[in-house]
Amino acid sequence: MEESTMRRRIVGAIASIALVVAACGGAASPAPSSPASPSIDLNAKTVGPNGEPSTPVDQIPDLTADEVAQVQGAKYTAALLWAGAGTWYNALTAGAEEEFARLGIEIVARAEANFDPARQQTDVETAMARRPSIILTLPVDPTAAATAFRPAVDAGVKLVFVDNGIDGYTAGKEYVAIVTGDHFEMGKAAAKLMSDAIGGKGKIGYIFHDAVYYVTNNRDRYFKAAIEQLYPDIQIVAEQGFTEEGKTQEIAAAMLTQHPDLNGIYVAWSAAAQGVIAALREAGRKDVKVVAYDLDAVNDLDMARCGNMYGVALDQPYLEGKIMARIAAQALLGKSVPPFITVPVQTETRETIAQVWKENVNADPPQEILDALASPCPS
Amino acid sequence: MTAGDRDAPLGFVESARRRVAAGRIENLIVYLGFLVIFAFFAVVLRDRGFLTPDNLANIGRQTAMVSIMAVGMTFALSAGEIDLSIGSIVALSAMVAAILLRDGHFSLAIAAALGVGLLTGFVNGLLTTKVRIPSFLVTLGMMSILVGLARITTNLEPVPITNQAYVFWFGSGDLGPIPILLVWTAVFVFAGHVLLRFTPFGRHLLATGGNRTAARYSGIDTDRIKIAALMISATCAAVAGMLFAGRLHGARYTLGETELMTVIAATVIGGTSLFGGRGSVIGALVGSLLMGVLNNGLLLLGLTVSEQLVARGAIIIVAVALSLREARTS
Repeated sequence: MEESTMRRRIVGAIASIALVVAACGGAASPAPSSPASPSIDLNAKTVGPNGEPSTPVDQIPDLTADEVAQVQGAKYTAALLWAGAGTWYNALTAGAEEEFARLGIEIVARAEANFDPARQQTDVETAMARRPSIILTLPVDPTAAATAFRPAVDAGVKLVFVDNGIDGYTAGKEYVAIVTGDHFEMGKAAAKLMSDAIGGKGKIGYIFHDAVYYVTNNRDRYFKAAIEQLYPDIQIVAEQGFTEEGKTQEIAAAMLTQHPDLNGIYVAWSAAAQGVIAALREAGRKDVKVVAYDLDAVNDLDMARCGNMYGVALDQPYLEGKIMARIAAQALLGKSVPPFITVPVQTETRETIAQVWKENVNADPPQEILDALASPCPS
Repeated sequence: MTAGDRDAPLGFVESARRRVAAGRIENLIVYLGFLVIFAFFAVVLRDRGFLTPDNLANIGRQTAMVSIMAVGMTFALSAGEIDLSIGSIVALSAMVAAILLRDGHFSLAIAAALGVGLLTGFVNGLLTTKVRIPSFLVTLGMMSILVGLARITTNLEPVPITNQAYVFWFGSGDLGPIPILLVWTAVFVFAGHVLLRFTPFGRHLLATGGNRTAARYSGIDTDRIKIAALMISATCAAVAGMLFAGRLHGARYTLGETELMTVIAATVIGGTSLFGGRGSVIGALVGSLLMGVLNNGLLLLGLTVSEQLVARGAIIIVAVALSLREARTS
């Protein structure tokens, strides 16, 4: 008797929660996303966090033989304090290591903050115990990093940033410079890839990074703006954000359920595209093309096999790491360095895989990719 | 009275068996909750694709790995232990399989990936029972060790899988109209259910988890039971890792890192006690399906990530609360 009353209450409780959820869902569909994109001026030049003009990376001079000898004699040391880990960071590290080795600079500390600003603060404190002359870093959070890196600034360490700046810091004072991919141009390049992939017209799904993160937010926003402003025959019919890259499979599957007429899917980065491709494979949809960013062996294999992965836009982490190391040395010699240095955007499609691997990460693609490239796509 | 002396401990095992039988009713609430949530989405999303066969197949595929891990977790929890290392076992077993497949070793890849699970579970079990470190801490440490190893294997680089037989049998294939992932799920759920419900091992496991001292006095080797439970849990996770790799046609060290909480929630919603002595494999399956339907439905509703998190969290709390209440009243 009492138990059946309880069960009824239980069912009632579940039902009412479900109703609340549904009410929210109704209002939120389609999902809100990045700010309205027409406000984005696609022709505007990319500038630094304080409006600094960008300097192309090829205008950064190499050190002279004398300078190299001078740096080598000074026994400088460096710390690499990255935000995350993976292929991109490996290439960044490789570039920095090679340049530091050439300059006789010893790397005395390495850390990776797993995108946690608090952990990065600990990393800085720990690295400072080794008294490095240089810190190369990707600040996780531009606000929190202002405090986190203060001990390094006070100790006169030469700070060089990749991708992100730090709020309230000025180039030439607290830090040397920012070296970065051009994320606006990467977004636009991804839009161009999407247009190429689906023949200039059709319906696409847009899977964006639903968190505040400078790099992904800019790429996502510029992709969306470029599609809306430059490719009027392409419609974004489905939008969904994600925070965990393992969830993109479910998202893509849901998109295909509701929009079986999709021609393409954009996703915020390459490792996250793996789930999208799995969803397309399971749905038997060879015709839907995927565009993302960054090198990734698994997705490049799909690309090489003429699967769903059409192309990625990329920056050049190996080159960025190298330049970061180089300008840090220049700063130690008291030379002036431009505050905001950009590397040009690259794109990778099946035709350019081998070349892009060489340029981008200074390595050959894995053998299975080369094997797949050897046989032509079925037309 | 020698007979009386023997009867007392046997009576304890008998009562555990009866509790198992009663478990069928204990789990009523999770089935009910599943049906309510399913029916709700079926109505609200009737014109948004929820009930299409493709979508239902998607839910089945998406939940397969969690279901299999939840079967394993049912054994660990029922034995009065917990296994926090399952997410990292997924990553390491997937990496090991992918690397060996790259070098052309099909059978070795499968054996080694399973070996990751068996060995991890064995070490977890030994440290828990012989060194008497709580399994919470043992498996927490193990999680860190395995994540580190998975990262070291290829220096963080993902490894593609090109072996067609592997990706067919471990993730991407279909047997007729049935996705292979559903077959794997069915096999594990069936085996797990039989093992827990209908074998002496299952009874001893529940007795051990319910009251270790009493179980030991009734002649059960509780250490062996606990080691076996942790090996089952770890091996299920290793299989899930192999399936992740097969489904995604490649492995990366981040695989499985977010699955642990989903697995624990699914298992507990399914009527398994966090404190041992009570477990249901079928319940764990339904708990996993409930989580899968929830994820799917909330996505199809068009909720943002933040809204999904709030809704999912609220429903999980309600489901677990109801499940626990049900257990206390029956």
